[in-house]
Amino acid sequence: MPTVQAQAVSYAFDTDTTPKQVLVDIDFTLARGEFVILTGPSGAGKTTLLTLIGALRSLQSGSLKVFGSELLNLAPKGQREIRRKTGFIFQDHNLFDALTAAQTLSLAMELSGERLARDAARARAEALLSALGMRDYLDSKPGVMSVGQKQRIAIARALINDPPLILADEPTAALDSENARLVIDLLKQRTESDGTSILMVTHDNRAFHAANRIVDMVDGRMAKT
Amino acid sequence: MSAQVLLGLRLLWHDKLRLLSMSASVAVGVVIIFVELGFLWGILDAQALVATLARGQFLVMNKTRADLHHWDKIPAAELTLFNGVPGVAKVMPVYEDHYGLTDPDGGRTVDSHRIRRVILYAFSPIDLPLAVGDPAPMSAALKMADSFVFDRWSRPIYGHIVPGMDVELDKVPLQVSGLATMGPDIVNDGNVFMSDTEWLKRRPDAQPIMGVVRLAPGADVEEVRQRLLASAPSDVTVMTPQEARARENNSTLKAAPIGLLFALGMVAGLVIGTINCYQVLYTEVSDHLGQYATVKAMGFSDSFLNGVILTQALVLSGTGFATGLLFSIFADAFVAWLTRLPIQVHLESGSLVLLAVIASCVLAGWMAVRRVEAADPAALY
Repeated sequence: MPTVQAQAVSYAFDTDTTPKQVLVDIDFTLARGEFVILTGPSGAGKTTLLTLIGALRSLQSGSLKVFGSELLNLAPKGQREIRRKTGFIFQDHNLFDALTAAQTLSLAMELSGERLARDAARARAEALLSALGMRDYLDSKPGVMSVGQKQRIAIARALINDPPLILADEPTAALDSENARLVIDLLKQRTESDGTSILMVTHDNRAFHAANRIVDMVDGRMAKT
Repeated sequence: MSAQVLLGLRLLWHDKLRLLSMSASVAVGVVIIFVELGFLWGILDAQALVATLARGQFLVMNKTRADLHHWDKIPAAELTLFNGVPGVAKVMPVYEDHYGLTDPDGGRTVDSHRIRRVILYAFSPIDLPLAVGDPAPMSAALKMADSFVFDRWSRPIYGHIVPGMDVELDKVPLQVSGLATMGPDIVNDGNVFMSDTEWLKRRPDAQPIMGVVRLAPGADVEEVRQRLLASAPSDVTVMTPQEARARENNSTLKAAPIGLLFALGMVAGLVIGTINCYQVLYTEVSDHLGQYATVKAMGFSDSFLNGVILTQALVLSGTGFATGLLFSIFADAFVAWLTRLPIQVHLESGSLVLLAVIASCVLAGWMAVRRVEAADPAALY
């Protein structure tokens, strides 16, 4: 069963004058363990598709199945279940200034349903931050970090519960080459070792080599490259 | 501790200056409530002061004396009747009248009026039916001839009066033999004290305003009360100081709408506190809207975020209450010093005020969570 299956998905934003169509008849499949990159000009509908798949918006028409669940008319509880199984990486890190990196990851781990002992949770956080080159910031707050470092904490937050689906919006935009490669390699490793499915919106060609497929979107429609 | 409580606490504790400012905002309402309560109880306590200071188990007075500020006297002969009641150790007459006290500074008072009205209490310097100072020095001061004791807590309109100086009382120069501690009320600005002997020299026909009944050691209070009532003439009433105080409070509240006025003031304080708490929580949520939207995108429910906000509301109710209580103690002390009224924070009201503050902050938190619920995770993209 594919992780994501979209059929004839369309979406329009209500505006003051006429509705603005941003997605037109999208057919798309994301297989288990597949790494797909979405590219296209601004306004092509890439982010809107990401938000629909992640159950952050309600579907208007068509069929969109994520983990086998139909998102059309899905109740809020069902939407939360989808979100819990999805790791979101946003453009803005949106970290709480009041929380250390360890506390941020601990908060995310509350969603996993596992009752990890404090030491075990901390060890898991430490391991993931080490993989992202952020081990030294385990007990630091965002106030002492650069933008790129905060973004890596945000990436760790998205990955800490080993989600089967990762939706990423320009995750490497704020990162230098070395750290961008670190993140891409980590994500690629997840697809290979855990069967994680990844859908990434990016214009960063440093990521293209890791993708199984690159999909171009223009004016709300999808083409395969 | 649950994750939402922990998050709420950490968000508040992170910026301590901001927490202090948020607490101060909530504290404004608390101060208003406590000051209004202080004013109300200060006025009531001042009006009932004579009952509070009585050094006996009962007060005997004329039944027509509707409150402690009426001048209905009781014949001294009727008071002496109670001396024979079993269980009664003594009945101590208290005389009360008003006099003109001449400012010894010769016109350098606030409004240049040299003679100001003062209340005079006269009683036995041996029995001391009113607790207005240390017994030994008070007794010695009252025994001095051609003298009076001045209430140091009288309002400063009387000028600078100290023991040893001569001051005219009803245009008769008398020596100030000592200082007492009683305090004015909302009508009377000051008090002086004289021995009953000294008073009766000047007013031979004077009758007491009341009698303070002191019981013999081991006497049963209720039994003695029944005996006093049984032997009391029809125009005499017998009350405990607590009953007299309660009656006085009731009379004061009925005579003027102060209860309503101060209640409205307290409600205003609650409303202001609620609004302030809502404003600080709303700002807190608005400043973290992106973070709250992210938490929702991660899969946390609205009820989790509501718990974070309500945790902050509860903490603010506590810190706001504590801050407000501290300021209220100083504010009430300042007003008490200005007015010479017994205005202070009544800690027995504290638990009620705390409950009210908690309720108002929870209400503010409930309103603020609407803001959180409106946080759209899709807007993060």
